[in-house]
Amino acid sequence: MNIRGVFIEETFAEAFTMRVARVLITARNIRWAREAALKLTGFATSVIGCKVEAGIERELPKAETPDGRPGISILVMTMGKDDLGKRLIERVGQTVLTCPTTACYDGLAGAPDRVGVGSALRFFGDGFQASKVIGGERFWRIPVMEGEFLVQEKFGMVKGVGGGNFLILARSADSALAAAEAAVDAIAGHPGVILPFPGGVVRSGSKVGARRIKTMIASTNDAFCPTLRAVTQSALPETVNSVLEIVINGTDADAVADAMRLGIDAACREGVVSISAGNYGGKLGPHHFHLRRIMSGTTA
Amino acid sequence: MSGLLVRPKAPLPEPADFAAVLSGPWTGVTAGELARRPVAVDRGNPVQLGELCEVTGEPDGSIRFAGDFRPAVRLGAGLSEGTVMVEGSVGDEVGLGMAGGSIEVRGHAGAGAGAAPPEARRGMTGGELVVHGSAAQGAGALMRRGLIAVGGSIGTHAGAGMIAGTVLALGAIGPAAGLWSKRGSIVALGEVTIPPTYRYTCTYQPIHLRLMLIRLKARYGFAVLGRHLSGSYRRYSGDLAELGKGEILAWTAE
Repeated sequence: MNIRGVFIEETFAEAFTMRVARVLITARNIRWAREAALKLTGFATSVIGCKVEAGIERELPKAETPDGRPGISILVMTMGKDDLGKRLIERVGQTVLTCPTTACYDGLAGAPDRVGVGSALRFFGDGFQASKVIGGERFWRIPVMEGEFLVQEKFGMVKGVGGGNFLILARSADSALAAAEAAVDAIAGHPGVILPFPGGVVRSGSKVGARRIKTMIASTNDAFCPTLRAVTQSALPETVNSVLEIVINGTDADAVADAMRLGIDAACREGVVSISAGNYGGKLGPHHFHLRRIMSGTTA
Repeated sequence: MSGLLVRPKAPLPEPADFAAVLSGPWTGVTAGELARRPVAVDRGNPVQLGELCEVTGEPDGSIRFAGDFRPAVRLGAGLSEGTVMVEGSVGDEVGLGMAGGSIEVRGHAGAGAGAAPPEARRGMTGGELVVHGSAAQGAGALMRRGLIAVGGSIGTHAGAGMIAGTVLALGAIGPAAGLWSKRGSIVALGEVTIPPTYRYTCTYQPIHLRLMLIRLKARYGFAVLGRHLSGSYRRYSGDLAELGKGEILAWTAE
C-alpha cells in the first residue's frame, strides 16, 4: 500500500489494556487551566519510568465544562486499578490544588468504576473542608489561601488502550520531524486520545528487555536506529536516516485507530519513505492495530 | 406527557394532609394503587386519594399535580424517589423530611418546606426541592442534606437549626436565616439579613455555586443571571452560638 508515495508496511501496532480516568480542569481563564494541565501531565510519558501516562485530550469551551469556565480535558492512564487512584491523588493534589483559580472534575460521569480523589484530598483542609452534593455527586470545598479549591469526590475509571503507535521512517531528521509534527497536529483535539510523549513524538522507541543487562525491562529499539544499521539486524531501508514514533493512548480501540488513521495520513508527505509500527510479535498486547486495515478504512 | 397525573375532582378540603401519598416506594405503583393511598382531611380522618382527585397515567417515576393544591399540606413528605411536579402552588410543609428524589413547585410553597416533622431531629435529608415562586417561613429548618432552591423570596427562619445542606433563594431571605445552624449553606442572591451570631469572613467567588446555579438553570429553568455566576459573594460563618461551620453566602455587586 502506498499513500502519496509513502509505503505502508504490512505490520501492526501492539497495544495494551490500561485503566483510564478523564480529569477536567477548569480555571478563571484558559491560561491557568493550561498551567495546571501541563503540570499534571508532566513526567507522564511511560509507565516504565513514570508510573503513569497522561496527556491533554483537548481544550474545553465554557459551554462544555461543569462550572461554565474554560477548561482542559486530560486522560490519565495506568496499568492497574489501584495505581490509578494513587496517581490521581498525587497529581491532582500537587498540581491542581496548588494552581490558582482551578477546580477539578471527573470527566467520565457514566463510568460505574469509581476511584476516590477528592475524598482523599479533602484532608488537606484539616477539618475545615466542607462538601456539597450537587446533582447526586459529592464535591469537596477545600479552603486554601486564595479562597477555595473545589474537587469532585470520585472519578470514573474505564478500561482503555495504551501503546497504539506508528513509526515514521524518513530520509532525513528534518523530514521525520516535519512529518511527525504534521501527524501530531492532525491528531490534536481528537476526542478520546492523548499523545503522552513530548510534543506527541518519541525518538527513543524501545524493545522489551536488553541484550546485555538482563534486569532492564526496556532498551533502545536497535532495529530502527539508523546509526546501528551496520552492526545490528536493521529493519530500516537503505534510504532511511531518521525514525520518529507517534504513541497514542485512548479511551477505546476505535478512538486509537481513528487517531492513527489521521496521523498516518498526515505523515505521508515529502521525505518520508515508509510507515511502520512497533509490536512484540503479537504475544504481549491484546490490541493489534494493523496499519493497512486502518488506512483502508476496514478495521483496526 | 407520560407518568402519573393527579387532578382534584373538586376544590380540596383545607387542610388536606398528603403525607402518606408519596412516602415510601411509589414510582412503580399504578394510578389505581396510588388512588387508594390515604389523605387525612377533617382533622385526621383519612379518605382515599381517589375520592378527592382523579389519578391517571402510567408509572414512569414521575408524577404531576395539576390544579389547585394550595390546601394540600405535607405533599411529598418523606419522599425518597422519583420526580414530583406541582404545576401550581402548594400548602405548608411540602417535602417535609424528604430523603431523595425531586419536587418542583411551579408556584409558591407554604411554611416549612423541606423542614422536619414534629418531634423529628432532622428535616430534609436528601433530594432537591425547587420552588419557582416564593416560600413562606421555616424552609429547610433542621435540614440535614439536600437542596432547597427558591426562585422568589423566603420567609423568616430559613434553614433554622440546619445541620447541613443548602437553602438558596434568588429573591430576598427573611430575618433569622440560618439561626442555630451547625453546618450548611444559606445562599442569598437577593437581600438577606445576617443574624448577629454570624461573622463576616471574606468576599470571594465560590466555584461550587456556579455548578449549583448552572444545574438549576439547566434542569429547572431557574432564572439564573450572568451576574449570579460571575459575581462575588460575601461569606459569613455561623451560627457561632452553635458549631459555627455553617455559612451564609450573600451575592454582592462589589
